[in-house]
Amino acid sequence: MLTAAAARNLKAADQPPAIAGKRPMILHNDRPEDLETPVKYFDTWVTPLDAFFLRQHLPRPAIDPAAYRVKLNGLVSKPMDLSVADLQKLPQHTVPATLECTGNGRAFYSPKLPGIQWGRGAVGNAEWTGPRLSDVLKLAGVDTSAKFLEIDGADSGVMQTPDFVRCMPMEKAMHPATLLALKMNGETPDIHGVPARLIVPGWDGTSWVKWVVRLTPAAKESGGFFMNPGYRYPKYALPPGTPARPAELEVIEGMPVKSTLTSPEDQSKAPLAPMVIRGFAWAGENAIERVEVSTNGGATWQNAQLSAQKLPFAWRLFTLNWTPKDPGYYTILSRATDTAGRVQPFVPAWNPSGYLWNGIDKVGVTVEKA
Amino acid sequence: MRTALLLLGFALAACAADQAVIEKGRQEEQRTCLPCHSLRIIHTNRLSRAGWNKELDKMAGWGTKYTDRDAILEYLVATYGDDKPVAPPDMSADGRAKK
Repeated sequence: MLTAAAARNLKAADQPPAIAGKRPMILHNDRPEDLETPVKYFDTWVTPLDAFFLRQHLPRPAIDPAAYRVKLNGLVSKPMDLSVADLQKLPQHTVPATLECTGNGRAFYSPKLPGIQWGRGAVGNAEWTGPRLSDVLKLAGVDTSAKFLEIDGADSGVMQTPDFVRCMPMEKAMHPATLLALKMNGETPDIHGVPARLIVPGWDGTSWVKWVVRLTPAAKESGGFFMNPGYRYPKYALPPGTPARPAELEVIEGMPVKSTLTSPEDQSKAPLAPMVIRGFAWAGENAIERVEVSTNGGATWQNAQLSAQKLPFAWRLFTLNWTPKDPGYYTILSRATDTAGRVQPFVPAWNPSGYLWNGIDKVGVTVEKA
Repeated sequence: MRTALLLLGFALAACAADQAVIEKGRQEEQRTCLPCHSLRIIHTNRLSRAGWNKELDKMAGWGTKYTDRDAILEYLVATYGDDKPVAPPDMSADGRAKK
């Protein structure tokens, strides 16, 4: 027997709903919201809020900014509760950084894996503004014996679903680019985790805890589902389709080098005329050094033009002017290289949770006589 | 001829039984999954029987109480098994404020 609420939810599932503030997005789930950006929306260095992807593990908490507090406890000399106004009084910094869901591209792994079947759009680049996390921790007198920081978000589980708690080494927490963001692209979208969202530039999206309500410096790494077994990656690559070896799984820190083609659209048609191939590339904590594009399935490659800002953490846009010689079907590929010399692979390592897909990107276009 | 009819009868009955189990599983899905999340996140997956079994165990660990676990497993495998074609997800409606 369905409860009235369940029946309502079922009825609501028939029609794809609108998600407040968002353009039409690829709807992986609506309660909680898991939205992917169609790649054709990516045409600017800063991704607009109305097109930015969303990944919610748990129901979105109701937030009252006036009552909102961030608790500092654990290895600190002055435990305290900070309001948004307290956080606003600290020096404010803006860091442009690319945020990518750890599972972006999961749908491309074979054999298939459980989880959201993200394609290419669980990624975006934004300008994040707020105090440095180090300044917040210093305010409470963080102890030098603290080696890790536990971070709790206000989102909590339904029934016995685990609470969303993460933990990171203090070294990354104290990095000058690690922020407690009060703003995203100059605005305060609570759907994206403000009043206080952790910004961990160059690390996977799961580290970027939304609606931070507690910061606890600790001597040892702590856990919970979202640290173990969640969000771990095999130390040694496994044959595709084989089970994880729990003792050999490691916490994901940092992200690989990657590029995504945004134009032409995959499986589109184009006239036999000059066109611009576009995309973006990013590399975790590094900057992008080079993007190569092939218009013949990888037989030959050309260097693409890159946007001027060569920053760690933030993506670079790339373009290649191309005039196809003949009509017909073309396979276009992009391959990025970062400042540390890492190159996108042809075949990313399959892993039991489908994380960190970074295979050379591919689109097909049919060129027709004008 | 009589044997053939009998066999056909058995086959139809077995098929109807399967359909009944699958329908029961569909109702079980609505009862057990919807309280926490909508169903799209399930329906975009394509998993083997072992894969769905593992997901059911995970959700049980998080508090889901199945009244007919076998039926929901049969339904998931029959409808969203790894041999089934992948359906592209829906697009959400436009949620921007009207100007």
